[in-house]
Amino acid sequence: MSSSPSETATHPLQEFADRVAEAVGGTAEIQFDTVKVRLAPENWVQAHVTARDQLDLVFFSWLSAIDWANEVAAGDTLNEEVEERIELMTALSDLTDGNLVVLSTDLPTANPAIPSLVGVYAGANWHEREAYEMFGIDFEGHPNLIHLYLPDSFVGNPLRKSFPLLSREVKPWPGTVDVEAMPESSRSDEPSTENPDA
Amino acid sequence: MTIDANTIRHLSEASVSVELQTEDMTLNIGPQHPSTHGVLRLVARVDGERCFDVAPVIGYMHRGYEKLSEVRTYPQITTIVNRIDWVSGYANEVPFIVAAEKLMELEVPERAQYIRLILTEMARISSHLVFNASYPLELGAATPLFFALRERERVLDLLESVTGGRFHPNFNRIGGVKPAYGSGSNTRKQPQDLPAGFFAETRDAMDKVLEAVDQLEDLVAGNEIILARTRGVGILPPEVAAAYGVSGPNLRASGVAFDLRKTQGYLPYDRFDFDVITAENGDCWDRWYVRLAEIRESVKIVQQAVDSIPSGDLQAKVPKVIKVPKGETYVRAENPKGEMGYYLVSDGGGGPYRLKIRSASFSNISILPWILEGILVPDIIAVMGSLDFVLGDVDR
Repeated sequence: MSSSPSETATHPLQEFADRVAEAVGGTAEIQFDTVKVRLAPENWVQAHVTARDQLDLVFFSWLSAIDWANEVAAGDTLNEEVEERIELMTALSDLTDGNLVVLSTDLPTANPAIPSLVGVYAGANWHEREAYEMFGIDFEGHPNLIHLYLPDSFVGNPLRKSFPLLSREVKPWPGTVDVEAMPESSRSDEPSTENPDA
Repeated sequence: MTIDANTIRHLSEASVSVELQTEDMTLNIGPQHPSTHGVLRLVARVDGERCFDVAPVIGYMHRGYEKLSEVRTYPQITTIVNRIDWVSGYANEVPFIVAAEKLMELEVPERAQYIRLILTEMARISSHLVFNASYPLELGAATPLFFALRERERVLDLLESVTGGRFHPNFNRIGGVKPAYGSGSNTRKQPQDLPAGFFAETRDAMDKVLEAVDQLEDLVAGNEIILARTRGVGILPPEVAAAYGVSGPNLRASGVAFDLRKTQGYLPYDRFDFDVITAENGDCWDRWYVRLAEIRESVKIVQQAVDSIPSGDLQAKVPKVIKVPKGETYVRAENPKGEMGYYLVSDGGGGPYRLKIRSASFSNISILPWILEGILVPDIIAVMGSLDFVLGDVDR
């Protein structure tokens, strides 16, 4: 992870980050005012129980994942090579001071599986179904692990980086120019006055 | 006519001896229903007038914005996020833009921040007015619709006069707000500010909105049918709401005084005086009341902001081609429907590597199987309407 200037001085959230990291048994990092605590997959459910019962992080904001991949089918590739993995994240918040922590763990890209959080935070139900269909993560013990958005017959995990975006396959974008040049004149190098964003 | 007691006994004995066939019925509600503000389907097991095991079926409006964001540039994404919760399109842009600015470590000019704040509160007023129009209508009271939509039109006209759009303003730029350029020889180089007369019209409109809120309160709060259908119906305890991630007015109606405007600092809300509205019971009535009273607070914020807006630039200095440095951040904001946030992962390129969109309505309606368990069938509409969700905000 890259370092940010906010890490050098003592960040106002440092005390909160250390407290969470110690209680759940992970390592804390603060990036751009966002506290992230990295966990081992074995601690996943227990860390959430601790966060809920001891740290008063009762509000389940969201659960999602990042597919860290070196080969991408849609979008830009990463500038540096990364260790390929699925990073699973949850965001938990208190309902008093607005402190939020992102708990994160790494799962293998092939057949990722982890115990479900539905027993800890009931709201994890839909989020885990979404992560199941979008990333192919198997949440063990989930009461109803079926597709959420996509039709039952849908094959593939769309938010995996290996999943192509069909519209971009059919017609790559932005091509050479937005508007095709007239046949007799090549594209002018002068900036257009019509569209300042172009 | 006299009643023969023997006959009655005979009948009742007969009815007991007959085996009654009590079979549960599976009821499909939707995918089209006027009370859903989008397309939602509920599958419920109905036993008499009560429903059990309600399973919402969503995804009819899934547009895959998280995937689409990965193949777009940052300035293009504001166009997409406008369309998540289209009832308050402007408010969706702000946390995304703030997240990108945070990674770029940009200092946004004060005036631009004030304009963002004024427009966000206008979006909130307009969203809450839509709720105050549609909710009584769903319960059978048509009149409040006209009062609420008339005022909403006033607010949307103001939004349109600044941004050019009523629903999808696409007005935020990384580093500030969009400067308007005229077509004349002098105005072409001078970015225009807010339209002439905007402040006077805003003050006038806010006074009228306040009047209409009082009228709405008279109309709805004095209506015994609405009281009977909402008081004590669909009670949501705060601990259940928190575990499901229910946020915004729905959470505050359950008695939790939590408002991201007070804690997060994504816009300069700390300079204004306003109250966090809460209610005690967490029933449908309270959820209606909190949204009505929040209009008054938003009006207060807009009035103070209009009186104290500083002069200055509309945009920070940003390169023409926007590249966001490597980093990750989560920025969340108090949107009209609840917590809206973006987890932005950038790799230093022109578009995000990953953008997780946390929308309020998704978590707010994940409570439906819990809150509709054992409820009367006619109350389904009362409870669902009171949660104030937009399916675009659910499906993304």
